[in-house]
Amino acid sequence: MLIPRRVKHRKQHRPDRHGMATGGTRVVFGEFGIQAVEHSYVTNRQIEAARIAMTRHIKRGGKVWINIYPDRPLTKKPAETRMGSGKGSPEWWIANVKPGRVMFELSGVAEPVAREALRRAMHKLPMKCRFVKREVGEA
Amino acid sequence: MSEVRIAAERRNEFGKGAARKIRRANKVPAILYGHGTDTQHLTLPGHDLMIALRTANVLIRIQGDGVNELALPKGVQRDPLKGFIEHIDLLLVKSGEKVTVEIPITVVGDIHPDGMLDQQMVSVAVGAEATHIPTEIEVSVEGMVIGTQLTAAELTLPEGVSLVAEPEALVLHVTAKPTGAEEEAEGAEAPTAEGNGESAE
Repeated sequence: MLIPRRVKHRKQHRPDRHGMATGGTRVVFGEFGIQAVEHSYVTNRQIEAARIAMTRHIKRGGKVWINIYPDRPLTKKPAETRMGSGKGSPEWWIANVKPGRVMFELSGVAEPVAREALRRAMHKLPMKCRFVKREVGEA
Repeated sequence: MSEVRIAAERRNEFGKGAARKIRRANKVPAILYGHGTDTQHLTLPGHDLMIALRTANVLIRIQGDGVNELALPKGVQRDPLKGFIEHIDLLLVKSGEKVTVEIPITVVGDIHPDGMLDQQMVSVAVGAEATHIPTEIEVSVEGMVIGTQLTAAELTLPEGVSLVAEPEALVLHVTAKPTGAEEEAEGAEAPTAEGNGESAE
């Protein structure tokens, strides 16, 4: 599972959930991809589940790129705890994904196989997504 | 490649308010520059431009409102979700001038049954006459065995087109398909995160 090796601050504020993705909005490495249509925090477990769903379907062959990284910690206070006494302990690692972001890319397989693999991966993700293809002739 | 004619209007109002007004009218704010000339601010019809940009490195003839120039798209800003064109930068070119452009590489043919294609380069920088820019460069992977590598220098370029990219740059190579176990193990390692700037509790 993806997790940062070392962090500057163990506990951070919750990331901003507004605005659109400003970069990484096009398929650049592979031929097909999954693009986020909504905002969401994607945990490292969800990223891993999506990757496994994809690679199991394409079996051998095909290459997968993960364009997001869960580098933001989210904290949680234990259940039935009174308010106060500091911030809770880190519980999840998340990637802050904004609409338009291409999160996964895939190449080396036929389009019907890629569509099905990415559809399965989309079911593991917490937001509405769509299948995208690399545009030819973009300036 | 034939040129596409697009009617243009000059733009006298600038800023986000004016640009949004233009976009609401299904038009696209554009700028035209190059050859040391002053930048010209234009408005182009959105639908015609979108159709024109479906071809890579399309040569556009900008006409109207005292403008009659040949141009190549230099930078296109699109809405990441809806895909409409928000703004376009056009580079002035002259007929017969040699320009450097990125040409898409298209892979054709069936790969070796036990091989996997790893395409490192999806487009290649070439020098070509502005009026004779190739739309794509075809690469056939038919008959390539596992371990075959293709560099930029080995690409078959059309006549009058020269390579600008590094000749040794890897375009694609055929690798053996990974085994199921290798793929599963890819994301298995999970090192723990440690605080660097704060004391770890």
